[in-house]
Amino acid sequence: MQVQQIQPDESLGRGALEKALQRLRKSVWVFHLNTGSCNGCDIEILDVLTPWFDVERFGIKLVASPRHADVILLTGPITIKTLPRLIKALRGVPRPRLVLAIGSCAVGGNIWFESYSTIGGFPRIMDTLHELGITIDKIVFIPGCPARPEAIIYGVAVLLGLVEQKSQYKRVKA
Amino acid sequence: MVKFVRVIPLATKVGTVTIKYPFEKPLVTESFRGAIEVDPSKCTGCGACTRICPPKALSLIVEGGSLILRYFVGKCIFCGMCADTCPEKAIKVTREFELASEHIYDLYTDVEHEIITCKRCGTKFVSKKLVDKVRSKVGEPLDELAYLCPTCRRIEMLSKTLIFR
Amino acid sequence: MKESYNVVKNDELSSLYNYLSNLKAPPPTIEEDLVKIIIRRENLREVIEYLSKCDGIFLRTMMASDERKVEGFFKLYYVFGLDKHHKNIVIEVPISEEDPVVPSIVDIVKAIDWYEREAQDLMGIKFSEKIPHKFVLPDDWPENVHPLRKDYTIQDLSKLYKPRVVAHAKEVEAEAVVVVPIGPYHPALHEPEYFELYVRGEKVVDTRYVGFMVHRGIEKLGESMKYDQVPFLAERICGICGFVHSTSYCQAIERALKINVPERAEYIRSTILEIERIHSHLLWIGVAFHLLGYDTGFMHAWRIREQVMILAELLTGSRKTYGLNIVGGVRRDIDEDKVKKSLEVLDKVEKEVKNFIDIALSVPQVKTRLKGTGYLPKPDAIALSLVGPTTRGSGVPRDVRRDYPYAAYKYLDVEPITRSEGDNMARAEVRVEEVFQSIAILRQLLDKIPRGSIAIESWEAEPYKFGIGAVEAPRGEVIHVIITGTYSPYRWRVRAPTYQNLLAIPIMLRDGDLADAPVTIASIDPCFSCTDRAIVINIRSKKVEEVPLSFLSTKGLKLTR
Repeated sequence: MQVQQIQPDESLGRGALEKALQRLRKSVWVFHLNTGSCNGCDIEILDVLTPWFDVERFGIKLVASPRHADVILLTGPITIKTLPRLIKALRGVPRPRLVLAIGSCAVGGNIWFESYSTIGGFPRIMDTLHELGITIDKIVFIPGCPARPEAIIYGVAVLLGLVEQKSQYKRVKA
Repeated sequence: MVKFVRVIPLATKVGTVTIKYPFEKPLVTESFRGAIEVDPSKCTGCGACTRICPPKALSLIVEGGSLILRYFVGKCIFCGMCADTCPEKAIKVTREFELASEHIYDLYTDVEHEIITCKRCGTKFVSKKLVDKVRSKVGEPLDELAYLCPTCRRIEMLSKTLIFR
Repeated sequence: MKESYNVVKNDELSSLYNYLSNLKAPPPTIEEDLVKIIIRRENLREVIEYLSKCDGIFLRTMMASDERKVEGFFKLYYVFGLDKHHKNIVIEVPISEEDPVVPSIVDIVKAIDWYEREAQDLMGIKFSEKIPHKFVLPDDWPENVHPLRKDYTIQDLSKLYKPRVVAHAKEVEAEAVVVVPIGPYHPALHEPEYFELYVRGEKVVDTRYVGFMVHRGIEKLGESMKYDQVPFLAERICGICGFVHSTSYCQAIERALKINVPERAEYIRSTILEIERIHSHLLWIGVAFHLLGYDTGFMHAWRIREQVMILAELLTGSRKTYGLNIVGGVRRDIDEDKVKKSLEVLDKVEKEVKNFIDIALSVPQVKTRLKGTGYLPKPDAIALSLVGPTTRGSGVPRDVRRDYPYAAYKYLDVEPITRSEGDNMARAEVRVEEVFQSIAILRQLLDKIPRGSIAIESWEAEPYKFGIGAVEAPRGEVIHVIITGTYSPYRWRVRAPTYQNLLAIPIMLRDGDLADAPVTIASIDPCFSCTDRAIVINIRSKKVEEVPLSFLSTKGLKLTR
């Protein structure tokens, strides 16, 4: 099993990503992209805006076009019909491009990992995007089916560098 | 006519309901199902959980000379069927949901088992713990066949029962 | 078990049985809730014409199945329902592999249109009306590869298709017609669907819907999974009404194999179904207010809804995708404390919703924009076999809980709530009333829940048995048809309510204002993850046909066809 890793992109100069992220400490603008999900994670994203979780206290808001967005919220296992439109939308996001893959569908394909009609999660098209010249500067994967609103807030905090992630690769002997 | 203005006193009466996570505790109830945890001392590597798992988040692979039970939390649907199916009750469902990660490989957890090599043909096929457990329950009759893979076991039994003239 | 004709009181039903028995075909199998008959495709049109004249008959679904290994044919199953007699009528038509052509019945039964296109795409059955373009599958899918045929496994198919990324812009220049694309990524819609509305000035003239963005190959996947894994797959068909799909699947299997589910499990299933209905309707109310610009309403509705989500998590273990159903019962029990807590939460929610809706529906912008827009006339609702609050808002009282009772509804009396105006306000009122009805039903259920086990001990799977399971989802009727296999379903057909209700959109948008379009589209409560098809309906000539983009760009286009 080969595990993919993104190499840090030096095309904009050393440390450019860190400098850009420092300016984005809190008030990121997000764009919601649904690539064929069941809507469970999507209504949890909308739920994060409602009074009980209220992510607007951090200054985060939903925008109408990918050109205005800092972070893309991606849900769904990427069906083959949405792939061209996904690429078009990602091209329109200005650098630095940050992506939050929300839900088990976007992270690993969930139950649809071998269906004829889906690509099977965001990691499987990262190579294709690289070939097309669309560089993704930082990605955070948020598992969950559906991903809880609190888990999404935690994921945003990890993306912006406000907390250290808890998940670590572990190998134990039986 | 101006009934809709009554929304203002309604909002004032309700007040703020926001749970200020992460500065306050999250809204998790007692029955919430989060990520699972495999107890390495109880797991025998039988693979029952890998057969029932709907998205195949649990898988049994042979890598580098050992048998590995691999749990990929990125594909997990948090259904808890593995915990219900495990014969040793080695899988526990925790309430962990803060699983975000920057790298895919951080979402994997491996449990490593020592693997048995078939005495006759050399394929690696099952964990030592499982064979020992089955032997302790079945006892003596199994001793000769315990360290053979299923194909070789059939050949051995056949050659024992056939009478050559 | 053959029903004796003497027991049938109604003349209509006995004349139907007589007609079916007198056809040149094997005699029909008549069971308690099912009448099944096998006919030849030459007789199909006359049988459908006879059925369409029966009073109160509706098309429920149509399924194409590959049974070449079992019986040597493809088979088409048309499922009709006679609501007042609680009977399903299933017409089986075998089709040979060498000549897979079937006469189309779209002129007799308008509602069959999308089913025929799907059967053509996924199974390769040709209908006599030529259907040129692909609908379910993308345009660059290889020719003559039909995924639902048994020739391919899931693994084979994923090697056959490599997506070509084609990003081309289409330019449309039409006289006096401006195309306003809404979607697939537009803030008014939370799902990837693509509506093209052709407008003249501000009035909508025509609609084109290109869908199937969410087609994930569920039916094919289900055939490669074991029986007890499929409820988890079914639940993820839709994240808002997931429990409905898993219950419907379990009911179809239980009906096919004649498994008796313990009563306590039935009550638990009905309880969770009603909780799902409350949360779904409150979600819809919030989204509708948001589309009208009344964001205060959106926030308040979702604030009230959150308590229902927390209750669902306490009862089942997850906020959504409960994972509670298995074939033969449920996995987790509801004990006394949880019942008490549920009743407390329901009292609170009822009071808050009453208070809030009273205020919200009196807001002037909400009232004027909902009243009189998106009108759906009653004869259209009947002809297209629409389901759910969409059709109940136009005065047609269809409700699966009363017409084909299931689970604990067999022991209760549920009256469908209707309104006669047929506009957006009527549909909103139907949904609000249903929230209160659900709370009343929940109180009855939680009061009368019987003791006992929550699942049967074990059950045996027999292959090639036929079963139908139907449930009333918040959006309408969900129906699953199953043909069983040895370890996994042989053929599984899912029909979600939005599939049927999308046919109503061009009628509702006709001659309306452009600004009303998002609310009208939202008023059928579309759940595209359940659906996904593509169709073009020309509303002026009332003909169902394909109107490609290039055609609209030629000069001299007459829009008054």
